[in-house]
Amino acid sequence: MRISTSWQFQQSLSTMLNQQSALANTQNQVTTGKRINVASDDPTGAAQALSLNHILASNAQYTSNIDAANTRLTTEGGALDSVTSLLDRARTLALNGINGSLSPSDRQNMATELTQIRDQLVQLANTTDTNGAALFAGTSTTTAPFTKNSDGTVTYNGNDGQLNTAVGSSLQVPIGDAGSTVFMNLPAGNGSFVASAGSANTGTLIVGDNSVTDTNAWNAAKISTGGAINITFAAGGAWTATDASGNAIVDSSGNPVGGTYTDGGSISFDGMSINLSGTPAAGDTIGVKTDQSQDVFSSLNNLITSLGSGASDTQLANSINRQLESIDQAESSVTNTQVLIGNRLNTLDQQSSAYSDLNVTYTSALSDVQDVDPYTAISNLSLQSSALQASQQVFAQMKSMTLFNYLK
Amino acid sequence: MANMLNIGVSGLNAAQVGLNTVGNNLANLNTDGYSRQTVVQSEVIGQADGRFTIGGGVNVDSVQREYSSYLTTAVWQQNSSLQRATTYNDLNTTLNNILTGSGNLQGALDDFYGAFSTVANSAGSSSSRTALLGSAGSVTAVFNTLGQQLSSQQSQVNSQISNTVNSVNDTASKIAALNAQIRQSPPDQVPNALLDQRDGLVKTLSGQLGVSTVAETDGTISIYTSSGQSLVSGNKSFALSTGNNVYDPGQTDLFDSAGNDITAKLSGGSLGALLDYRNNVLNPAQNQLGQAAIALSSSINAQQAKGLDANGNLGQPIFSTPTPNVLPSTKNTGTAAISASITDVSKLTTSDYNLSYDGTAWNLRTSTGQSVPMTTNPDGSFSADGLTFSVASGTAQAGDSYVIQPTRNAATSLSVVQTDPTKIAAAAALTTTAGTTNNGNATVSSIKVTDPTNAALLSNAKVTFTSATAYQVTDSSGNVLSSGTYTPGQPITANGWSLTLTGTPGANDSFSVAANSNGLNDNSNALAMAALADGGVLDGGKTSVLASYGNLTTFVGTAGSQAASNLSTQTSLYNQAAGAQQSVSGVNMDEEAANMVKYQQAYQASAQIITTAQTIFASLLQAVQG
Repeated sequence: MRISTSWQFQQSLSTMLNQQSALANTQNQVTTGKRINVASDDPTGAAQALSLNHILASNAQYTSNIDAANTRLTTEGGALDSVTSLLDRARTLALNGINGSLSPSDRQNMATELTQIRDQLVQLANTTDTNGAALFAGTSTTTAPFTKNSDGTVTYNGNDGQLNTAVGSSLQVPIGDAGSTVFMNLPAGNGSFVASAGSANTGTLIVGDNSVTDTNAWNAAKISTGGAINITFAAGGAWTATDASGNAIVDSSGNPVGGTYTDGGSISFDGMSINLSGTPAAGDTIGVKTDQSQDVFSSLNNLITSLGSGASDTQLANSINRQLESIDQAESSVTNTQVLIGNRLNTLDQQSSAYSDLNVTYTSALSDVQDVDPYTAISNLSLQSSALQASQQVFAQMKSMTLFNYLK
Repeated sequence: MANMLNIGVSGLNAAQVGLNTVGNNLANLNTDGYSRQTVVQSEVIGQADGRFTIGGGVNVDSVQREYSSYLTTAVWQQNSSLQRATTYNDLNTTLNNILTGSGNLQGALDDFYGAFSTVANSAGSSSSRTALLGSAGSVTAVFNTLGQQLSSQQSQVNSQISNTVNSVNDTASKIAALNAQIRQSPPDQVPNALLDQRDGLVKTLSGQLGVSTVAETDGTISIYTSSGQSLVSGNKSFALSTGNNVYDPGQTDLFDSAGNDITAKLSGGSLGALLDYRNNVLNPAQNQLGQAAIALSSSINAQQAKGLDANGNLGQPIFSTPTPNVLPSTKNTGTAAISASITDVSKLTTSDYNLSYDGTAWNLRTSTGQSVPMTTNPDGSFSADGLTFSVASGTAQAGDSYVIQPTRNAATSLSVVQTDPTKIAAAAALTTTAGTTNNGNATVSSIKVTDPTNAALLSNAKVTFTSATAYQVTDSSGNVLSSGTYTPGQPITANGWSLTLTGTPGANDSFSVAANSNGLNDNSNALAMAALADGGVLDGGKTSVLASYGNLTTFVGTAGSQAASNLSTQTSLYNQAAGAQQSVSGVNMDEEAANMVKYQQAYQASAQIITTAQTIFASLLQAVQG
């Protein structure tokens, strides 16, 4: 085949230009460290890199959400720890308060300390997070969800809502608890019912520990009795029980329940059991009410009132026993919340460590997609530069290869 | 003796012509389009002299171009493809660089969605809300910049089309002029230089536009576009012209000399590349980017409308959602003004549409010509593909048509309209309260806003179970809003909300629904907006905004890499064709050197013949004198 001289020059020139551009491309890859500098370098890879970057950004956001949630929940847990120790102290004071050998001024001092405990409790219930938002306000904007009124009662201004944070694409974790669930709408008594001595009782009957021993029987009784049971004592400790409508309560055989109570004994029917002490006078009563609620502040207030009331030992013991039951309910509510917080913190920890593991995985996947392999790139670079040098050498030799050089 | 001198002189002449031709070839060694020339010589028929014939020397018949019309035509065709591939690749490279260089949309989107999470972490904090509006501004800026870059490429394409058309017309008229000169040359004098020049011009023209050529018997060449419009015929050339698209003044179209729009018919060359790129890459890329912008703004605005802001009002839009372009044809005879709006973003496509009126009904076609069925709404408007059209004013005449570009300029026109950080609707709009005397164990699992435009959305309402299986919803005055049979798991709806219960409700159980005005620190709506980062918005709720941008990246990247590989294929095809043509028509220096030696020696030999003739003649004279 004939070769056109100018075409030959042009071809070897364009070969060199192509080699130069390939070399520049490889140089760019080596200096940026990236295989994909524009989308056309690898369209699928570019889209992959995009979605990997998105996953990494989301994970970083979830991690920062987890950090924020951790801080908030830890603050909440700390506040609840203090609440527990305050309630423990209140409990101790109340137990001491039953002691009959105390003088009225001792009881007054106890009442004063309990007042301080109540005020501290209000303060703790108003704890805020790092942004100044109240922890126990639900989703309300109020910064002080609990306000103490002039008569010592405490009002809740928040709501029942709960804040969440996103820690995964479809995983949300609560980052707070409404004050209403932690401190306010607590069950009274033993959690199922309140058994209290009648206010007009004249005997020395003191209602002690009480509980549900048979849940099924109790649930059936709750419906059949209309939620209220009245136990009335006759002389000698004989007792009978009536329901909310005043009808006698019957056992499974259809006979009216009843019996004779002796000091230190207990009364059991309808799946419940009430320990008693002291001696009832004829006509003394015990009222049993279901589904009663209380709040921790009013329980403390009742304690304070009782201690300062100068009431008889029996009345005081009955009243303090009821408040002790309420404080126990409050403590268990706080403990339950702390367990929930612990579970949430666990979830957060697990998610957080999952994200740090995933970060490693996705970062290396991203690197596989978009980063250049330095060994390949550098070996390409030296290969391409020696190829270019070879072309240049060939060109230099070609220039002397003409017949005219020999025609002299 | 005289014969010998004549033969010698003819040899001298022939060698001289040969040397001149060699010289000319060498002189034009680097002339583009030059075809090497060779001397065609033949023996002069001698006169019979009795028993034998002696030749009469040499005749130079012609100096001819070494030329193959087949190979040259192949070069023209390959040049057309090569220039198309080159221009196409240049445009795609620019587009890929624009996409990489105009800000990181994925990063901006992630920041924006992340800002909602940050607001959720501290809904009451004004700094996180302000930061959110800042990220909204950044993501808008990236969309705008990308959109503007694409628009400016659109205008570059327009001006390149105009410039190329000017060169096409210029080249065509030069070819016509050469045609005229060539036709005038005497038949025995082949105008080599003119032919080479004309071939060069045809090659230039083929690079600008795909052409076909016909060599006429009178030596002229006729040139037609790939679709058959005549560009050059004899000494006449027919100019193409540019003008605005009949619908879209932003797109330059091509017209033949009779004024017909031939934009869709042209292909090949850089002009073909420009038109192809505009239709198949740039417009779709603009539409796809616009679709992502609309998806972002409408999904965020819709979720925003379902929540309460820090002032207790329903959320107002954060973005202005771009509206479709409606472009009436300049040929419309009616007065109808069409309004188009996006009513369902999940059905929105990246297509452009042509809406036409046939005198009785409106018809909708995609830009690729597929018919799209429309549904007629009660108010007389039409809906298709997530769009709603209506005649805003005037009356249409048969044959009137409009181009609808739902997403074309959306990326450029996206803007943030919310400036007040307190108006970010982070809180849920509604809250529910279970009745205090409920006996059942049913609890509210979710309350969702289904229609934020319902005027009674935030009004108090109460769901009461008249029995364990029947419910009614009443307003605050006790009017029954809705009632029905309760199916576990099925939502109860009224006032634009939908309430879902879990568990079993008891008879007389009730659930109150009210505005969440007391829970403005709530963050559930902010979380819902943050979740839109992965939430499907487009394609029937399958594609998120980010995924849509990913699709755009793949689309642009694929176009770019295909253009690059096509260019390298076309380059080697062109090189083969040009190499083959050059092997016939190109000048080889060594060959010319050899020819030079050949002619030089022939010259010397012929000169020697003359010397010999002179010597013989002198010897003869001497002998006679002697």
